[in-house]
Formats: sequence, C-alpha cells, structure tokens
Amino acid sequence: MESLMPISRIVGVVPSSWGQESMELTLAALQATCAEAVSPEVVIIGNEEVEARMNLAARSGISRVWQVETPEDIDADEPDAMATLAGEALAQVACAEASSLILTPPGPEGEELAARLAHGLGGHCLGRCLKVRLEDDRIVAERSVWGGRKLISLEVSGGVAVACVRAGKPMLTESADPVDVRKIRVDARAPAAPVLATESSGESLPPVESSKLVISGGRGLNEEGFSMLEQLARSSGGTLGGSLPAVDAGLVPVVRQVGISGKFVSPELYFAVGISGTPQHMAGISPDTRILAINKDPEAPIFSMAEAGVVGEWQELLPEVLGILHDRE
Amino acid sequence: MNILVVLAGVADNRYPLHQVALDSEGNLHETGQTRRILGPFDEGALELALKLRDKSDAISVHVLVLGGANEEQLARSVAAFKPDSLRILHLRPCRPWDSSMTAAQIGAFVRDDETQPDLVFIGREFGDLDEGSIPVMLATELQLPLFSLAQYAEWQGDQVRLMREKGTRREWLSCSGTYLATVTNDRRNKLRHPLMKNVMMAKRLSIETVTQNTDEPGSVRSRELAEPRAAKRQGQCRMIDGSVQEQAAAIVDYLRKAAG
Ligand SMILES: Cc1cc2nc3c(=O)[nH]c(=O)nc-3n(C[C@H](O)[C@H](O)[C@H](O)COP(=O)(O)OP(=O)(O)OC[C@H]3O[C@@H](n4cnc5c(N)ncnc54)[C@H](O)[C@@H]3O)c2cc1C
Ligand SMILES: Nc1ncnc2c1ncn2[C@@H]1O[C@H](COP(=O)(O)O)[C@@H](O)[C@H]1O
Repeated sequence: MESLMPISRIVGVVPSSWGQESMELTLAALQATCAEAVSPEVVIIGNEEVEARMNLAARSGISRVWQVETPEDIDADEPDAMATLAGEALAQVACAEASSLILTPPGPEGEELAARLAHGLGGHCLGRCLKVRLEDDRIVAERSVWGGRKLISLEVSGGVAVACVRAGKPMLTESADPVDVRKIRVDARAPAAPVLATESSGESLPPVESSKLVISGGRGLNEEGFSMLEQLARSSGGTLGGSLPAVDAGLVPVVRQVGISGKFVSPELYFAVGISGTPQHMAGISPDTRILAINKDPEAPIFSMAEAGVVGEWQELLPEVLGILHDRE
Repeated sequence: MNILVVLAGVADNRYPLHQVALDSEGNLHETGQTRRILGPFDEGALELALKLRDKSDAISVHVLVLGGANEEQLARSVAAFKPDSLRILHLRPCRPWDSSMTAAQIGAFVRDDETQPDLVFIGREFGDLDEGSIPVMLATELQLPLFSLAQYAEWQGDQVRLMREKGTRREWLSCSGTYLATVTNDRRNKLRHPLMKNVMMAKRLSIETVTQNTDEPGSVRSRELAEPRAAKRQGQCRMIDGSVQEQAAAIVDYLRKAAG
C-alpha cells in the first residue's frame, strides 16, 4: 500500500445557531475520537452566542477555534448554505489539503451537512458512526447496519473524511486555558435557500429531544390511548413521543418519532406504553435514560431494558393513572 | 411530467437476518432466505408519486429498484402498483456503505437515462447500510436542490407542493423546477394496497434489468462485519405487581419524580 500522511487534523464543524447542544455533542464526539498526537480544533459558523460556545470549547480542552463570520442574510437552518461556508472555511484553514477528519453534529441536519461537506471537499463520507478511531494513516469507523443487527467497520486513508458520532456530553474542566480564537471571513456566496411557506403545525407540547420526561406510545395503542398519553404528558410536565408504527398510523407526528430514523432522546425517564422494544426504536433512547414500560406481553423485549414495568393493558392502567393525577391536582 | 422513484428495500425485520458476509475484495454476499421488502421510507416515496399521478394524467411514474438480494420479488411487489416504467438497477460493484460511490453510480445512470425526471423521490435512508447520506449525495450528484424529509405532496394548480414538519412549523415548498425530495414516513404517505388483479399481473411481468458499471475503486473500504455489541442497558426490571390501582400509583410516583 502507498504510504500516506498521518491524520494531522481533527476538526469539529458547528453552526452556532444550531444551539449549545449541537456544540456539546460535537465536543463530546471530538473527545471520544481524538488521538494523543492530534489536538482537536473547532470551526464555529456564525456569530450567535459565540461567547458561550467558546467557553464550552475551552472547558472541553479545545485549543483552537476558528470563527467564521457569516453574511447577514444567511439562513443558518439550511445545511446547503452551512456546507458551502464550512467547505470554504476548511479550505482556508488548510484542512482540505491535509489528511483530516471532520466531525459534524449528530442528528439529521448534521448528517446532511456531513454528506454535503464530503461531496464539496471531494472527501470520504463516513456518515453516522458509532465510533471513529485513528490508526496511523487510517481512519477506522464503525457503523450500525441492517437496523442494528450487524456492525460494519470501514476504513479510509488519505484526504478528508467526514463523520457524525454520538458520544453524549463532553467532559468539562472547571477552568481552562483560553482558546486561540481566529476569525475568518469567507467570500463564498451561499446558495439561495428555497422559499418556503410556513404555518404553525399546531404542536403545543415541548419538543421530544429536550424533555426530562417522555411519554411514548407504540403500535399497541389507538387514538384513545394516545389521547390519554397526551393528557398524561400535560398533567405531569412531560412530552409525547411514539414509535414508527404509531407515526404511520397518524397517532403522533413524525417530529415526535423516537428511534434510529427519528429523534434521539435523553430524558430522565422514558415511559413506553405498547412499545415492544425493537433495536430500531431503542437506538433513539440514550443509554442512561431510565425506562418504565407498560406492555401486555410479559415476554416483550422492552422489559429486559426497563428499570420497572407493568404487565398489563393500557386500557385498564392509563385511566387509573390519570385518575390519581387528577385527584392530586 | 416524469417522477422518478428510487427504491432500495430493507431486510424484513420480522424474520432473522439472512446470511451476510464480506469477501476479501470487500464485496457483499447475501445468501439464505433473503427477504428484502420495501422499507417504510421506500413506501412513502412510492406512495407520494402514486398520489400525484392519481390527480393528473400528465404524470408518469418511473421506478428504479436497487438490484441485489431478493430483487425479483421486490420488483414485483412494486410492479403491482403499475408504475409507468420499472427497472432493476444493478450497481457494479455494489458498495452501499460507500455513499459517495453509490450516489455517483446512481447519479451517472440517471443523468444518462433517456427519460429525464422532473421530480425525484427517494426515502430518507437508502437501504440497510445507509443512514441518510446517499440521498443527500444523489441530490448533489444530480445538481438538484434538495427538499429533505418530505411527508406529503399535492398539486397546487400545475405545481407540486411538498410539505414537511419541523419543530412547531409546517413548511411548504412549491416546486418550480426539478427537485429531489427525500421522504420520511407519515400517515399521509402510507403505501396503499395493490389491487389483487395487478398483483397477479405483476407475477407474470418481465422486468428489465439495467447495469451501471464503475471503474473507480471507491474510497471507503469495508473491513469486517460483526455482531452488534450487547445493549449497555441490561435493566434489572422491577415488575410492579398488585392491583391495577397499586400499579397505577407506582407509575404515578415514577412520573412525578422524573418531572421533578
Ligand atoms: C428502515 C427502518 C427504520 C425504522 N426506524 C424506526 C424508528 O426510528 N423508530 C421506531 O420506533 N421504529 C423504527 N422502525 C420500525 C421498527 O422495526 C419496528 O417496526 C417498530 O419499532 C415497532 O414499533 P412498536 O414497538 O410500536 O410496535 P410492535 O413491535 O408491534 O409492538 C407493539 C407492542 O404493544 C403491545 N401491546 C399491544 N396491545 C397492548 C395493550 N392493550 N396494552 C399494552 N400493550 C399492548 C404488544 O405486546 C407489543 O409488544 C424502522 C424500521 C425500518 C425498516
Ligand atoms: N418487518 C418489517 N420490516 C420492515 N419494515 C416494516 C416491517 N413491518 C412493518 N414495517 C414498516 O412499519 C410500518 C408499519 O407497518 P404495518 O403497520 O405492519 O403495516 C410500515 O411503514 C412498514 O413499512
């Protein structure tokens, strides 16, 4: 095999307007991936809450941050625009020539950004990975395939590779050395975002990604069951989620779908009602979330993953639960 | 107007996974009872195209089904919906873990094809080895603007409108020009059932196969396939017994503690 340059750069790319959590997730991914010989860098795109992002970067042990000042009219929700700016910025900081690993925030937007960046930089797209590690001049990535039923390990060498890794929260130190922040300006014109007509979707419960309590229903429920789950969510300060078949049945909108192809949630408690616990569903729940389950089938796999469970029918249990909550109000 | 639907299929997860292996060249071998069926996002993509065709005589639906395990049955299940054309697309080599290579192959095929699409629908994930990179890269390959995670499509005059939900917003795009839309599952795009007579017809149909070759070696090499690691979460599940009232009270305690 030809001899190649060792991997010399590991760079996280985060649009600042994607929020503090995107930043945290990317920093955690950098920490989980980093090799001793390479000090990780971060490219922050945009001007939003930059102080807070810098502080987080410093406390995560990042030594260098590139801040990309964006034009006013840029739509930060558009991965296309973000990819153009990020690609240009990476070229300016000479990442595009080096052998480097770029990490984008986990989640659908970050994955789209990763694919576009890889394409734009003529690099390798590793997509959503469970783990990425460096082996000399190679990047080795592990991905979950066939709906979690196999693992594949992939390898690339030379050039730029782009990946997303979900590694939880970064380890933070109390105080940290100041980061070396360099501002860069990019001249690239981002492509015009398509014009979208928007209206309210009528969702009034909090988003499923950021709630401390997620109350979730599956194929075992019907509309009546979901209406009880919604009441439960409202009276207990939680929010509503569901499995893919529940979404397909129109019981809950797809923005609340939890799983491999839905949202990743990390509440304190996940209350799963009429959900069997398939790998594709469980892939959307943080390993440190506690699970409480109701299922009529004592053999349902969810019970082997839950902290507590009730074998029973929701038709009997949910009205009682709601009754108790109402009495206490 | 031509709508192109690109379908990947997934292994039916009601059954144990068939035998999958990689050879020393990094080619995938699938043997045993390979039950590749349409996945939820394939179904959504197909249904959106059919819905638009229902409402307009000017629409032709053209389907490409990715070749591979169980391809004939998979293609026949699509034929039962009577697309205007249906072809099985073989990629040589087929390296679905290499999204750049796969998207470049499909892109090259579509670009050189006689019929050019006015709209492309593809599932948000393309098969069992993709988690969303291939559709995005295909849009870039075809130099088409991307509308991701579409849930619904309808006519507005002579334009197609695509809808998705994001947070608390519903977003609509009126397609002036050609778009590639990735499709996610939704009640409104649940695949219809085919007519029995069309299922019978599909059994006899001869289905065309086309091939896209590539000399480029691709850059993402597969090393090995392994079993998934055991879940980190092996809960000592405490089963809550007692009367329904007692069980409900225990559930309420859990919910209250979590909500703080
Ligand atoms: C490409 C692809 C991507 C996918 N992505 C996702 C994803 O992101 N998220 C996801 O969730 N799934 C996903 N799936 C689907 C996944 O494979 C399963 O089909 C799904 O998770 C099952 O959902 P469920 O647990 O609600 O239904 P089931 O597995 O059918 O379970 C229903 C449960 O309800 C119980 N039940 C029935 N009646 C009652 C009652 N009266 N009281 C109490 N319990 C009752 C039953 O005992 C059963 O355990 C995906 C599939 C594919 C192919
Ligand atoms: N065994 C399966 N393998 C893959 N997808 C499935 C399977 N069963 C159901 N689905 C998907 O889950 C959704 C609900 O399926 P159903 O309610 O069984 O029609 C549909 O979008 C199907 O595509």
